[in-house]
Amino acid sequence: MSGENQGGAIVPYSEEAKKPVVYPLRHGLKPPISRLGISWSRGNSLRVTVFRQPSEDSENEVGGKAVEVRLDGRDGEISDAQWRRIAYGSVSPFALLQSRKNSFASLSKISSTTSPFDAEWWEYVLEYSKDISSLLGNQTSTTQSLIEDPKEVLKKDPEPSNLKAAWELMESFYADKLSQAWLPERLVDWLADYDSLFSSTQETVHSKLVDFQKDLVSLQVIEDEPKYWEVMSSALAVGWLDIVVKLLRLHGSYQLDQLGNRETENGLVEAVAVLISKMPRMRPELEAGKLGECFKAKPDFMKAWEKWRAQIAKLECSTFWIQCAHRQTQEGLRNMLQIMLGNTNNLCTLTCHWMELYIAHFLYIRPFTVGLESMYGLAQKCIQLKPMAASHRLMGLLIGILGENIEVVLAECSKGFGPWMVTHAIEVLTAGSHQADTLLHEERDNLGGISMEELHRLVYAQVLSSHPLTWQIAPIYLTSCIKQGMGLLEMLLYKQPVDHNQLLLKNLEICRLYELDSVSSNIMKHGKKGSGVYWLQQARDEARLNRIAQQMFDSVGRSISDENFRQWEGLIQLLGSEPKTAGGLEFLHNYRDFKKSLLQIRDGKTTDAARQAVESLISLMKNPCTPQRFWLPLLHDSLKLLNWEERPLLNVLQTNLLLNKLQELSIARLRPDFIEADLPPHALSSVRLALATNLGRTTLEEQ
Amino acid sequence: MDKAVATLDKGTTCSSWNYCGQRLATGSTDGTLSIFDSPDPSSSSFTCNLKTKVHAGAILKVVWVPPEFGDAVACICSDGSLLLWEEIVEDAQPLQWKLCKSFESTSTQVLDVQFGVSSTSLKLVAAYSDGHVKVYELLDPLILKNWQLQASCISASISWNPQKGENQGSSFVLGFNSDTPQLNSSKVWEFDEAHNRWLPVAELALPEDRSDEVYAVAWALNIGRPYEVIAVATQKGIAIWHVGANPELDGRLSVEKVALLSGHGGEVWQMEWDMSGTTLATTGSDGMVRLWQSNLNGVWDEQAAFQPTA
Repeated sequence: MSGENQGGAIVPYSEEAKKPVVYPLRHGLKPPISRLGISWSRGNSLRVTVFRQPSEDSENEVGGKAVEVRLDGRDGEISDAQWRRIAYGSVSPFALLQSRKNSFASLSKISSTTSPFDAEWWEYVLEYSKDISSLLGNQTSTTQSLIEDPKEVLKKDPEPSNLKAAWELMESFYADKLSQAWLPERLVDWLADYDSLFSSTQETVHSKLVDFQKDLVSLQVIEDEPKYWEVMSSALAVGWLDIVVKLLRLHGSYQLDQLGNRETENGLVEAVAVLISKMPRMRPELEAGKLGECFKAKPDFMKAWEKWRAQIAKLECSTFWIQCAHRQTQEGLRNMLQIMLGNTNNLCTLTCHWMELYIAHFLYIRPFTVGLESMYGLAQKCIQLKPMAASHRLMGLLIGILGENIEVVLAECSKGFGPWMVTHAIEVLTAGSHQADTLLHEERDNLGGISMEELHRLVYAQVLSSHPLTWQIAPIYLTSCIKQGMGLLEMLLYKQPVDHNQLLLKNLEICRLYELDSVSSNIMKHGKKGSGVYWLQQARDEARLNRIAQQMFDSVGRSISDENFRQWEGLIQLLGSEPKTAGGLEFLHNYRDFKKSLLQIRDGKTTDAARQAVESLISLMKNPCTPQRFWLPLLHDSLKLLNWEERPLLNVLQTNLLLNKLQELSIARLRPDFIEADLPPHALSSVRLALATNLGRTTLEEQ
Repeated sequence: MDKAVATLDKGTTCSSWNYCGQRLATGSTDGTLSIFDSPDPSSSSFTCNLKTKVHAGAILKVVWVPPEFGDAVACICSDGSLLLWEEIVEDAQPLQWKLCKSFESTSTQVLDVQFGVSSTSLKLVAAYSDGHVKVYELLDPLILKNWQLQASCISASISWNPQKGENQGSSFVLGFNSDTPQLNSSKVWEFDEAHNRWLPVAELALPEDRSDEVYAVAWALNIGRPYEVIAVATQKGIAIWHVGANPELDGRLSVEKVALLSGHGGEVWQMEWDMSGTTLATTGSDGMVRLWQSNLNGVWDEQAAFQPTA
């Protein structure tokens, strides 16, 4: 398979002409290639036909291959099944939000007061955001072991996904009004959940912990190991307090047989542990198991902060350190105190990339940073001090968010996470930022008069159309595109294959839902003949139905096998008895009845069937719908009836009627435009003879 | 990212997918027409279920007839004739392909054929090597045999306006690649119902470019734009034109050349617009497949390229 496509942006953003990416197209053919052909199939799938030069060599070489290339810029991280689950799951939240938006819009038109709906609206947006977020987590469940392993410091969490990480960032900054007040702490939590995502390209605190966890099993005297102290300090720097305390409690001095000798040492370790667990945090609450003391109001926090720092300073200067025999413990603990005191050098050394340093700043240097501008400035500083080894799409996104640059945010979403992300994130962005709202809803000439919001929905719908299992959800997004949605929907429906009834019915149902009558009638013209007639009926395509009726006429008067008659009969049935349809159809119905009864006649016996047949014949001949050119064929068909052995089946009146018709016919035949029926040459005379004979016999009978 | 969906026989020279991408028709040097199908819409592997020799000489191009008129394929053959093969069912026999129409092979060669669907009928435009263009109209919507010559005009890349609406008049764009300079430039033709004739309503070439040979033209589907987008490929590159929807006082449409893309350096073989009319895929003699799009500011650029490798 070809190399990874790192989610190439479908909607190009950059102004500078960049060199286009060249992708290999593997076809597996031996050169030389003579020609290429292209055809767009569903949505964004491109089919390339590769033709080999026809040559004289080996017999078994193939002439070419048709290759399908998908251009939906999808994340390699997510499996097809997972992607479909996300796509399907997103439909309801999206649709719900749109309908709520519409009701609000209509309400605000009615009431002139500045809407009290704002509070309610935020709730809806947050609900939408949470619904989407729940789709993005991985499904693997964590096995909860009953016995908590003291040496397991890092819980085996289900692997986080980049998509969820990105979504949560945007939710925190744009949708979750409550977390706006304590954004820095929100980022601390975020990094705790997603630091592992950066481990693929460089070292992180998380990867350090993972490595140490492996070594932990085999370590005898843990406090002798320099890695132990380093790892703890790093975890402390990014605020993973519970892990630090857990590690501290693994210190040898806690062991029962050691307590006697290492009292002072243990005292110091415990003192640090306690200080850590009492760290003041500028946030309303903490998850269970997490450490620290929470404060909602700044003054309270400040007081606690000062007090806490004083306690640390006091411990720092204590005389107990001299009494601490174990050198590594002394150095390690003092290092940790330095971190808590906000020593920038330590923080810089112990963190691995700028985001970790950033978090450390929030925790220990500037715990009450507010305002995006100052947050952005700090981020820039940290990037300079500790740049990442390789650019990461999450980082690009975060910088765009902090820099309050919506265009960058959109570009990063598009490039890094694809059309699904952009389409769904736009709802959150427009709610949370005025700039976004304006930018995304503005109608642009160079897009043909649509807004960027609509453009992205159209792009996403096309991506959905690329797969037969997701195309049916495209209409939901298209109906919210006011300008070009219907046009694309029509095209999408038109291009669906109609050979399979299920698909066709689904297609038609969609048309009905969205009142796309013209589309459905066009679609229904496809399909094989039998079903074709049914669909033509549905489409009320009179022109074509008439034509089919005309074709049926060719069968009139000819002798056809039973099998074919049944088929023919079936088609007539389908053609229906709508009064509006061509008069020709009515004739065909009558003719069918007549033919049916003819077939049922047993030779010789004057059964009801025979009488029925006669009735049919007469009514047919009388009926103005019956085209004149069929009179002779009809009569010729009925020769059996006219020459009935047992007794004459037609009475005088009836016979006279037929004779008159015959006379009319003879005159009509002289006209230049008369169409002769395809009958043997003596047909007319046979019929005339039969009728005359009949007349004679009935006259005699009736006397 | 890419996967093979069908394998073609030796000697295949041309191919065409039907409207929904579920059937593939191919033509070969020995005159064989092959039809590939897939068992169901979600499967993406196609196998050849039919092979029939339609002509003594080679088939140069195959074009599917629009689906409203059944399953049928037009074949342009090397001797210049145009054959129409249709899949039909007769009496109790199973589905089979039969020749339903052969357009007279004159001394000139058919260069290109395209079908256009209007609300009332199916039309066919055929461009000939002597510079003639013939427009045929299907008389009977069910029978593909009876074509009437509607017009013969001088003015062989054809692209119909793919719009499917009820109120759409028929129009197509046509460009020639010939040694007669006056013939070449791409023109948009529209059918004038009132006078029952075809009229040129726009010329897609700057005055200094009028004699350039046209390799290919492609008309993008319009899903709601106030203007039409047409791509014209010449040796100077691929030009993207915006054509106004409403005629001006003189009856002609306003045109604007919005981009000139570098193209393939040599000949452009084929251009296709995607279903929303926003991405243009092209192939050319440099052996690459290129994708072109305009960015949010309306600037056209190459977005990606595909290099066939073994």
